[in-house]
Amino acid sequence: MTIAGVIGAFVVLLAIKTTPIAFAALGGTLGERSGVINIGLEGMMTAGAFAAVVASGATGVPWLGAVAGVVAGAAFGALLGVLATRVRVDQIVAGTGINLFALGSAAFLLVLVYGQPGASKTVPSLGNGSWLLVALAFAVALALHVFLVATPAGLRLRACGENPSAVAAAGIDPLRIRLLAVTAGGALAGLGGAYLSIGELNLYSDGMIAGRGFIALAAVIFGRWTPLGAMGAALFFGFFEALQFVLQGSSIPSEAMQMLPYVAAIVALVAFRGRARAPAADGIPYERNIEEF
Amino acid sequence: MNVRKAFGAPLTALAIVVAGGAVAMWLSGVNPLDGFAALVAGSLGGTGELSETLVQTGALLFPALAVALAFRGGLFNIGAEGQLLVGGLAAGAIGATYGGLPVFGILAMLCASALAGGMWGALAGVLRAKFEASEIITTLMLNSIAFYVASYFVGGPLHSPLASGAETAPLPANLWLPLLVPGTRLSIALLLALALAAALQFLLARTVFGFDLRAAGDAPEPARRNGVDLPRITIVALALSGAIAGLGGGTLVTGALHRFNTALSPGYGYTAIAVALVADLNPLWICAAAFGFGMLESGGLAMQAQAQVPKDVIHAIEGVIVLVLAARRFVATRVEQRV
Repeated sequence: MTIAGVIGAFVVLLAIKTTPIAFAALGGTLGERSGVINIGLEGMMTAGAFAAVVASGATGVPWLGAVAGVVAGAAFGALLGVLATRVRVDQIVAGTGINLFALGSAAFLLVLVYGQPGASKTVPSLGNGSWLLVALAFAVALALHVFLVATPAGLRLRACGENPSAVAAAGIDPLRIRLLAVTAGGALAGLGGAYLSIGELNLYSDGMIAGRGFIALAAVIFGRWTPLGAMGAALFFGFFEALQFVLQGSSIPSEAMQMLPYVAAIVALVAFRGRARAPAADGIPYERNIEEF
Repeated sequence: MNVRKAFGAPLTALAIVVAGGAVAMWLSGVNPLDGFAALVAGSLGGTGELSETLVQTGALLFPALAVALAFRGGLFNIGAEGQLLVGGLAAGAIGATYGGLPVFGILAMLCASALAGGMWGALAGVLRAKFEASEIITTLMLNSIAFYVASYFVGGPLHSPLASGAETAPLPANLWLPLLVPGTRLSIALLLALALAAALQFLLARTVFGFDLRAAGDAPEPARRNGVDLPRITIVALALSGAIAGLGGGTLVTGALHRFNTALSPGYGYTAIAVALVADLNPLWICAAAFGFGMLESGGLAMQAQAQVPKDVIHAIEGVIVLVLAARRFVATRVEQRV
């Protein structure tokens, strides 16, 4: 193979490995900027991956599978959103619950739908159409950047993550914005899961998300809570995931590269201290004060 | 004591298990009565079944106590899974290479597991106390790091040629924790866990450290102004929490599995959060809650084998319990405020 061929093959691998992490990381960024930490990204990706396979298999139309993945992710996003805003449960505990529930029910439904544990049968995949999703990931990163920086709605969303009382004082319901942001974030994570199951592959198998939701969470931090930063972090982590394939059988243990995103996130948390930080009200439930009404 | 407050969480959890289980069984085309009969028979039906339930109880008790200790101090340790795993790895590493007196071998394995888990927890504590890094994120990330560290060791330096998969060599029988019931996997690990629960209850209720820890959790700012050293509490609490979870990993290695591999825990560290929440973070109630969840873990397998209901549904039900109880805690406080 020529050098250009090798590089080309690596870039293809890089794009494939980056895309699912990017979607989930962008979804996580959106939620955190509005003030809701989404620990449930892993579960939302699982739900998206599973729903996509079921819908694609049932209809024979893979793009309907992608839509189902978005809907499933959004549904779990909305669940977290409602719990975190209307019921004001602890976001961390709720996210953990969503992960447990999504992973457990996907494994359960897998047996129910396909009559076998472990993996589904193969379904129609997006094939070359999955490159549209790769392009979409980059487009979403750019669009979210413009949305957050340059639109009034984006400003409001950011304000919810910094100082929800100020938003409420301006006559806007911060809880509604948070709910919308987390739902949209779940939809993106679901699409990331769908890309894995019917874009990169053509089936669902238990544990196929394999911690990518947590890598996405790391990418949110490594990307300093900005969409372009999250995209860059997803590329960075995708690069090392792709490198694992290239270096298979070499003397470098693959585990060293597999743990890299998580180490990078911790290093980033420490290194960015003082320069970039989480939104001030990230993870803090918003409660209306009587005086505001 | 308020009855609703004392029994609300367990009854809610039980209702979710019954309702969620019935729906899952009905979806699987199984008569719920048969399904639950299989679940109960599979967890309590005989000496072997009951012993296995108690093994699972012990396995859940350690991480649940770890979670409760940290949560009481307002620290979200979601890292019990990773702490348990490095604890198990440390015990497995010693067990695979030890050549001295068996008694000291077992003690060394348990101490090493607590130490390894404690260091894993303390790392998150230091990052939080000295570098303002959220322990939620760091403990979560450390779970994955623990998994890859462990998988490197069992695949490489500690890999046993005797083992079929990636795992350490089986422990010689003289390095096993003494069994409570011969012919089962039930060892004195359970007694150790119960003693630990009592000790933790004492620590929280009767010691200065326990008082400071609860103060830091309930009202950090007033606590700080009254002289509670918050950074110290953070580090010590997460180190202790990690040590307890790590010890759990060590007892699984010496007490139940008799080797180490990365499948040591089917998610005990996450289920532990549900256990701790059901018990309202009270160490003594946690013992009862761990038994309930232990029944689910051991009975789930029987339910799958006899009634063809996939056991994964247990984890889905645990997820619902976590979601509902997290919501319920808020509802309860709001009702009290109104009164």
